[in-house]
Amino acid sequence: MSEPADARSDLALMEYADGEIDGQIDGQPGGQPDGQINEETADAVVAARLARDPDARVKVAAIKQIGELVRGHLELSADAVHDAKFAAMWRRIDDQLEQPATGLWARVSRWFDRYRGHVITGAVSAGAVAALALILRPSTPDPGIPGRNAAAIDVRPVALRATPEIDSLDTPGGSSTVINLDDEDGHTTVIWLTPADTVEGI
Amino acid sequence: MLGAQRGDRDAFKTLFERYHRRAYALAFGVVRHQDDAMDVVQDAFIKAHKYLDKFEGNASFYTWLYRIVMNLAIDHLRKHRRVKPVELDETRFENDGDDPLLPRILGGNPGRALLDKQIRGRIDQALDELSENHRSVLVMRELEGLSYEDMAQAMSCSKGTIMSRLFHARRNMQKRLLDLIDNPSAELVDDLTGGRVGDADDTPANDEAPSQRTPAARSRP
Repeated sequence: MSEPADARSDLALMEYADGEIDGQIDGQPGGQPDGQINEETADAVVAARLARDPDARVKVAAIKQIGELVRGHLELSADAVHDAKFAAMWRRIDDQLEQPATGLWARVSRWFDRYRGHVITGAVSAGAVAALALILRPSTPDPGIPGRNAAAIDVRPVALRATPEIDSLDTPGGSSTVINLDDEDGHTTVIWLTPADTVEGI
Repeated sequence: MLGAQRGDRDAFKTLFERYHRRAYALAFGVVRHQDDAMDVVQDAFIKAHKYLDKFEGNASFYTWLYRIVMNLAIDHLRKHRRVKPVELDETRFENDGDDPLLPRILGGNPGRALLDKQIRGRIDQALDELSENHRSVLVMRELEGLSYEDMAQAMSCSKGTIMSRLFHARRNMQKRLLDLIDNPSAELVDDLTGGRVGDADDTPANDEAPSQRTPAARSRP
């Protein structure tokens, strides 16, 4: 004759079916409606229930059957996956096992291998930027830093290195005019001589 | 195992060949998507190789591997959560709403039942409908036979919570499968009751495809 059952009493059947019965749940009396805490007693209580209650026996059988169905279903699902998929998986795994497994350098190498493309792209980009910066930088040398002109040797004649200065101009029988011009091209001196016999207007 | 730890690639490949499908079954049971499960298994083997030197050999390689697979699968669910599952009350059984198990079983031979597409489809559907936590516990228990205590450690929760999740998961699976056989198709009736029901060796001949073998006929490593 079957007995009234609730989830708690069926929990004890589940423990029994799983070989886990100990009369306790997390150190507290549990699994048994009457609070049995002794494993042997708890086991005996369930065994007694199974002996007199056919429904309890069917429930234990149902628990085991569900286990078989779930396990069988998942194993068949795994069997259904084609070997080629697992072969491809092994190749991917094998590719990732190429690097040594330990050490800082190994980790750096693995990181580099993984991001090799990004690193090379970054390095090329940085080089291009640096080259452009060199080409396009301003030609004015920084103050205090010797530039290219500081080291150059001035090969012009001494007379040309400085603006000429006219100390005196002697023009016997005539007159002279000295004109000094300063503009963006530098300094220009014009000496204008006029003979004495020159008749103005002829 | 020692060869793999010494860096022998072939030895590690042997471990892969031995355990990849079993690891996949576990991952698939939890994440419920083929490609996601493949990603989890791949990452698990890469991680296992990376930390091979940390493996002390106290447990079997697979015991170590399944923990990695399980952690990655749970992480995957957290990262790719599409729908937030509604959890049942996991710690209290006194509620009137907590139904007991039904005193019914599906049929005579689970191995034969698994040949039926409707039943397998319903198992898939039921697994999909379970919350992530309930499904993870169910898969760990049924596929790997983990103890309540080990599952509690794996999921960082109490043993009572594990028991509650497992109970609800099983009860929900039972309800959905019984719904199916309460309104069975003729094909299903035939699969469940006809032929050599009850014969443990009644799997089809050896010339069938691996995917058609019943798991009852196989032994686990």
